[in-house]
Amino acid sequence: MFSGKLGIIDLSKKKITLKQTPESLKKLFFGGRGLNSYYLYNYIKPDIDPFSPDNVLIFGTGFLTGTLVPNSSRFNVSAKSPETGILGDSNCGGYFAAEMRYAGFDRFIIKGKSKKPCYLYVTDNKIEIMDAKDYWGMDTTDIQQNLRKDLGHVEVACCGLAGENLVRFACVRTGVKNAAGRCGLGAVMGSKKLKAIAVKGTQGIQIKNPEEMLETVEQLKDYIMNSKITSILGSVGTPLLYEVSNTLGAIRTKNSQLNAWSEKLNAEEIEKHVEKMISCSSCIVHCRHRNMLGGEGPEYTAVGLLGANLGIEDPAEVIELNNVCNELGLDISSSGTILAWAFELYEKGIIDDNLTDEELCFGDFELAKKLLYKISRREGFGNILAESTKNIAKFGEKSKDYLIAVKGLPQSDPHDCRYIKAFALGIATSSRGADHLRSRPTLEIFLKLPKEVKEKIYGKGIPNDPTSYIAKEKTVYFSDNIFAVIDSLGVCKFICHGFNSPHFVDYTWIKKLVHCASGWDVSEKELEDVGKRVIDIERMFNNREGISRKDDTLPKRYFDDPMPLNLSKGHHIDRKEFDKLLTRYYKLRDWTDDGLVKKERVKELEDLA
Amino acid sequence: MKYLYVYPEKCTGCRECSIACSLSKFGECNPKKAAITIVRDEFNRYEFPIVCFQCEDPVCLKFCHQNAYQIIDGIVIRDKDKCIGCRLCATLCPYNAVTSIDDEIIKCDLCEGEPKCVKYCSTGAIQYLDETEELEKRRKDMAERFLEINKKR
Repeated sequence: MFSGKLGIIDLSKKKITLKQTPESLKKLFFGGRGLNSYYLYNYIKPDIDPFSPDNVLIFGTGFLTGTLVPNSSRFNVSAKSPETGILGDSNCGGYFAAEMRYAGFDRFIIKGKSKKPCYLYVTDNKIEIMDAKDYWGMDTTDIQQNLRKDLGHVEVACCGLAGENLVRFACVRTGVKNAAGRCGLGAVMGSKKLKAIAVKGTQGIQIKNPEEMLETVEQLKDYIMNSKITSILGSVGTPLLYEVSNTLGAIRTKNSQLNAWSEKLNAEEIEKHVEKMISCSSCIVHCRHRNMLGGEGPEYTAVGLLGANLGIEDPAEVIELNNVCNELGLDISSSGTILAWAFELYEKGIIDDNLTDEELCFGDFELAKKLLYKISRREGFGNILAESTKNIAKFGEKSKDYLIAVKGLPQSDPHDCRYIKAFALGIATSSRGADHLRSRPTLEIFLKLPKEVKEKIYGKGIPNDPTSYIAKEKTVYFSDNIFAVIDSLGVCKFICHGFNSPHFVDYTWIKKLVHCASGWDVSEKELEDVGKRVIDIERMFNNREGISRKDDTLPKRYFDDPMPLNLSKGHHIDRKEFDKLLTRYYKLRDWTDDGLVKKERVKELEDLA
Repeated sequence: MKYLYVYPEKCTGCRECSIACSLSKFGECNPKKAAITIVRDEFNRYEFPIVCFQCEDPVCLKFCHQNAYQIIDGIVIRDKDKCIGCRLCATLCPYNAVTSIDDEIIKCDLCEGEPKCVKYCSTGAIQYLDETEELEKRRKDMAERFLEINKKR
């Protein structure tokens, strides 16, 4: 079958139901993030506590996941986020999602809460709820290796100690470093006493037009492999972005008090600690590092947020912190942001030893490492930090002014968004809070890209100046839509049109790939409509939780403190200009001036089935 | 004569080779239903393509009681019509290069001179090259290493 099953698992009742996802819904949302968001909206009642049995946790593979389509390894984990209280969703690579499809499943919807620690064992068309008492308390590598010892070569998605202990930014991990990192979904696993899902499948994915897929993928592979960016990503990975941002003066440093940091963290330095570059399932880019310190990574996010943002410049130390986060099952973006926030608050005297147990300072690797362990076990000050951005209540209203977060989600991108205005609009409006993987129009950073190239992608009137507010709603709008589509297909953003390259997989390519796999004829416009639908239903979820225009804002520092160093010196976000930009973005989205999805559209999307 | 040569140090573990193999042979994407297998373990840190060496004196052929195997132009070919699916070849192959799954026996036939695994590999970890003395030595070294590992078990 091309189409897999939907497994609904009620952990309270220990009941498992297998269903088929209606084809009509697939045509509207494809799969992955899109269908997950549809189910979140329909299955989660407003105002529930994310740690209650009422929260629903979804693991959804993309429409093309596990196929020959390049980079089709991905799935989304979604629930109401314990970190933000709004839509929680995180996209992840590795081998888990492909294996889910080989076992005959597209998606698991997990409800309720188990009384005792459990895990799910999934084999061909079968789901079993198993006792996890022997695995509870294990680190993320330990449990995966033990499950393989006990069950054979399974692919596992699990939570670490951080998830078990309900750290609000605990991640879901698969393999050595792949993580559905954002929004604290590992803690939702922990709250349900679900330690892991282990999958082993032997079935294939039936392809509607095999010959056509072989031919189309051959062409696409050549096209992607011939691009310079592919070979750079394949040799040094995302750390290449560190130098680009740093030269500009846009690397978040010491909680954004500074905007540039050491060249010792440049990609060429990181590379010295790398043994081999490896891939996710079906990936032809292979951007993942197997490092010499026993783990995988680091990505640019780790380099920035566990390096520059903590005032650390030794690459080996950064890599070790990266490995520690992965082991404990902590989201690296939130970890690096929350630690830096606490360090600055301590420096400024807003919090003191009474709360922190000890002196906090930037640049102290041992301190950072110790705090990560304490967070994962909720010990001492770690127990406080584990509450993430909710600590505004504990640290005092003034602490909010120094927090680099939007809608309660610490910013993922190590890029300081005061310079490139489109990046700022992106993190302000993204459906899960301050995040760059929802809509970052990365091309804005390539200052020399001809105007025509940008206009061809985003529409007319895009100035080549990244600091201009003019028409930047269009770049975010375009990216928001196509990233939602690529996330719903289960394909990595690294080969998505407009993410790292002005080329790559655009709607025309997607149209061909969808046809090979399923035989469906969909137009470019229909594809873009899928993206819009996903964005709207996610906004509906958030609107229902009270999100509106007032929340689509930025960290105070981005407005009020001009950047101190390098090319971007003096730049900040102008409140009035930002406000106008936001209005234009809402108009383009056809939302109300207060940032709400209009009633007619709500009704239209609620009536879908 | 051209054969498959593998370079594990270049293999990233993505399995496009085996997915392409299964898609071309069975119309489905299934890395476990392919004539090439990537053995990978991210925790023990390796990726290794297992291919059929097209042995000069192949065990699959020697022990097949249905005479389903023959060597044609240096390639060990299985005749589907003669095969009764007993899986003896898959069991006996010292390199685990004959795959058996779902009542299917899958044996590499080099895709009539255009191996799909090679075409879809993005790093050159699997190459289809003319037999030269040096390459042949590499191939035999690798085979002998395999046999050694097998003996130890």
